[in-house]
Amino acid sequence: MVTIESSSPHVYPFVAIVGQERLKRSLILNVVNPSLSGVLIRGEKGTAKSTAVRALADLLPEIAVVDGDPFQSDPDDPKTMAPEVKARFAAGETLAVRRRKVRVVELPISATEDRVVGTLDLEHALREGSKKVEPGLLASANRGILYVDEVNLLDDHVVDVLLDSAAMGVNTIEREGISFSHPARFTLVGTMNPEEGDLRPQLLDRFGLCVHVEGLNTPEQRVEVVKRRAAFEADPEAFVEAWAGETEKMRDAVAKAIALCPTVQASDAILLNIAERSLKLGVDGHRSDIVMLKAAKAIAAWAGRNEVILADVEEAAELALAHRMRRRPFEDILGPRAA
Amino acid sequence: MTLQTKIRMTAASGDGRRVYPFTAILAQETMKLALLLNAVNPAIGGIVVRGQKGTAKSTAARGLRDLLPSLPDGGRPAFVDFPLGATEDMVIGSIDFEAAVRDGSVRFQPGLLARAHRGVLYIDEVNLLDDHLVDSILGAAESGENVVEREGQSLRHASRFILIGTMNPEEGELRPQLLDRFGLAVSIEGETDPALRVELLKRREAFDTDPDGFIARHRAEEADLAARLAAARRRLAEVTVPAHLTAFIAEICARNHVAGHRADIVMERAARAHAAWDGRSDVTSDDIVAVAPMVLLHRMRAGEPDIPPPPPPPPPEDDDRDDQDDRENPGEDQQDQDDGQDDRSPPPPPEDDAGEDDPSEGEERDGPPPPPPPEPDDADRDDAENAPPDEIQEVGASYAVRKLERQSLDQVLRTGSGRRSRSRSASKQGRYVKSTSRRGRDDLALDATIRAAAPYQKIRRETAKQALAVHISDGDIREKVRERRVGNFLLFVVDGSGSMGAQRRMVETKAAIMSLLLDAYQKRDKVSMVVFRGQEADIVLPPTNSVDRAAKLLADLPVGGRTPLSRGLGAASEVLRQALRRDPSLMPLVIVMTDGRANAGLGHAPPHEEAILAGAVLRERYPSAQFVVVDTEPPGVVRLGLAGKLSAALGAAYFKTEDLRAEDLVSLAKEHQAW
Repeated sequence: MVTIESSSPHVYPFVAIVGQERLKRSLILNVVNPSLSGVLIRGEKGTAKSTAVRALADLLPEIAVVDGDPFQSDPDDPKTMAPEVKARFAAGETLAVRRRKVRVVELPISATEDRVVGTLDLEHALREGSKKVEPGLLASANRGILYVDEVNLLDDHVVDVLLDSAAMGVNTIEREGISFSHPARFTLVGTMNPEEGDLRPQLLDRFGLCVHVEGLNTPEQRVEVVKRRAAFEADPEAFVEAWAGETEKMRDAVAKAIALCPTVQASDAILLNIAERSLKLGVDGHRSDIVMLKAAKAIAAWAGRNEVILADVEEAAELALAHRMRRRPFEDILGPRAA
Repeated sequence: MTLQTKIRMTAASGDGRRVYPFTAILAQETMKLALLLNAVNPAIGGIVVRGQKGTAKSTAARGLRDLLPSLPDGGRPAFVDFPLGATEDMVIGSIDFEAAVRDGSVRFQPGLLARAHRGVLYIDEVNLLDDHLVDSILGAAESGENVVEREGQSLRHASRFILIGTMNPEEGELRPQLLDRFGLAVSIEGETDPALRVELLKRREAFDTDPDGFIARHRAEEADLAARLAAARRRLAEVTVPAHLTAFIAEICARNHVAGHRADIVMERAARAHAAWDGRSDVTSDDIVAVAPMVLLHRMRAGEPDIPPPPPPPPPEDDDRDDQDDRENPGEDQQDQDDGQDDRSPPPPPEDDAGEDDPSEGEERDGPPPPPPPEPDDADRDDAENAPPDEIQEVGASYAVRKLERQSLDQVLRTGSGRRSRSRSASKQGRYVKSTSRRGRDDLALDATIRAAAPYQKIRRETAKQALAVHISDGDIREKVRERRVGNFLLFVVDGSGSMGAQRRMVETKAAIMSLLLDAYQKRDKVSMVVFRGQEADIVLPPTNSVDRAAKLLADLPVGGRTPLSRGLGAASEVLRQALRRDPSLMPLVIVMTDGRANAGLGHAPPHEEAILAGAVLRERYPSAQFVVVDTEPPGVVRLGLAGKLSAALGAAYFKTEDLRAEDLVSLAKEHQAW
């Protein structure tokens, strides 16, 4: 497991990433409204995808967690606590609280299912002869960001359990003598190169937004990328320091948008516009509507408005509909026959 | 409190997720009704909800949880959310190794099937679940008990629950025999009315912003619905089906060509639940018409259920007793075949006291003279038989295509995965489904090992030289059995020459490939495609998981030019070589689609001889590959049988294009177990 906490000193600053505005924007929108449930980044290699995701944590406000709890329970919300913490809370125990940055947990392609969902603690079982849960990546990712590079290459059964947890917000372990469930709410960020095979629609649909990134194509920008990267590698500390002002500004803006987002209103006309967009494109189900509305609200909040305008929906639609458009596999080919 | 009990306790207390209220779900009336009917009468046998993603399937299933009446002992019925990654021991139950190791006692640790007793077992994405787990679950659902025979344990316990499965059919179908075991099925789609969508959006947003407030606002409505549900359950035992309507049920089932009697039984139970839900004690034809589509949807081959007009209400006078008896008997026969446990009256909900209601119902049936049967509607029946079945034709065509690959390929893939998991080279990847005492892969299943060792701990501890927490001997070692659904590889070698364009051969060939691609998508196989035409053979699609790309390429595939068959086979060899180097455990299935009329080649020999030679080389070089030749030679002309010769050289299964008609290929595939 690779856990990148912001306290690790040398993360390339988000604000220093050249170009890739859509990518950065989609990530920020997910931060502003975590219920957007993630973003899928489609594009070639070497387009700052991973850098951006890793840098994202640095922009997020701190969250309060129960100290020592592997499931990152929120000390103020008993309903979303992990079972053990909840029992302690119910027993009237004062929980030790720690404030820390939101985590980005990386799920490697080679991850086995037991490492993802959690498993029997082998050492404990052998030493003590009793069962204990060894929490998996989904526990670490609770209330954080779960980052899956090359999500389309992930083993299929791992995708299935991921999908299951992402959908329910709960991870249930029923394996190896262990029966346990804990909250697993996370923002799912995936990257993929479509050349290597697509994701199943069911999983695509679980990503709130989808952006397509391409390499930068102006020479000036490319030069700037190389320059900054070189500067960062030569002296990371100084580089981060040089961008500290910008980072701080961005952090403030993010915090403001997060605060504003729940108050953003959308008129009935806006809602109707959203519904009609989904209908026009023949998108499956209703998740697209819900996501479009959430995204539009986040866009409005990011712009400092508390009212969704049509342009917000326009942008939200671009981010939310592209990957949901296909009704069935091969519909574009089988379409006439199936109809 | 030991950790064990702590885990048990916390698991039972739920995870505290806030559930979207059932009553706040807009529209989707059929789905809601079907769920409620199952709650009224769990003997209906569960429900499978089929629909696109994002259509409130899961929301509705989970919402049902709060509506169920409390158990007689005052407890809340269990709602077990079945996780896809569950291992077999956790589903069925197994020995509790902690107890065994601690105090040497053999204690049964109940599994999910025990926990779901008297409650709901909910399986999201039921079509993605491993087949053998689905089998255990459906077995328990049907018999009402779970039989445990493992690790020296031999016991059975009651396991009656409402089974709810949801699935998105585009991810793959459930096997028909499994589908049939779900009592009801509903198919749902997203709403297309913009105003409704807006309302739905508003509610969802309101719930997401303030779940507790939203739930509180629906509390009264939820309580009303729960009360109605409880009342319907109480009433259910009194509900009877008039005899003439039993015949109506039989007629509906017969008319829709439903195999077996399960549909009749389920329809009767569902109709009674429907009447009880409506607050009545007599089933009317409306009840039956309302539930029939849910009963038939997953049991018919295709198309819409054909519901005949309900029989006229019986005249008040009783004038035809003999006929009545004839009518009633078949119905009883059907009931007798139902597992024997509740043949007379459909079983009451689990917590009801069934025994007391039974006699009264029996009296009621025997007491008043039964109403006469309806007049057989001869005219109507004749119509049904004489009418050309053009409707079936139309739908049947597209259905048949899907069936084709499922059945034929299933066979291929099943053999494939079975063989792979037995092989020593099997990797440690894949889902851990159960354990085995067979050794050899160094993939220790610790939980199963400790369980196997558990009963002997007391003795071993007394005799052991060392003080260990767990004493494990060689014979206890268990290894993991893993299942992996990926890893199959389909290589299409397609003849794109001019002769393939004749008589729309290519249209049919493409249709066949498309069917296979659809199956490959659902099974998540890798696919690759080689096309040969003119003087060239191209690997138009290198091995990829993107079946979609294959389909797009296929659609645009042109036809024309000569037939460089040996070049095509050469290109196939190259693809196989690379694919097998990457993953030697791969079992490629090579599907060659050609008329065999090779007329261009590498120049070593006459083209068709060269092709046959190439075929023999392929066969020898890739023993793990299986070959299929589809002969696309038109039937009208004199057959040259060249593809047949190629097939022999490859050691391939051989089909003619005209065999690609769905039913034929299915039967052929069944004969070809060697596939």
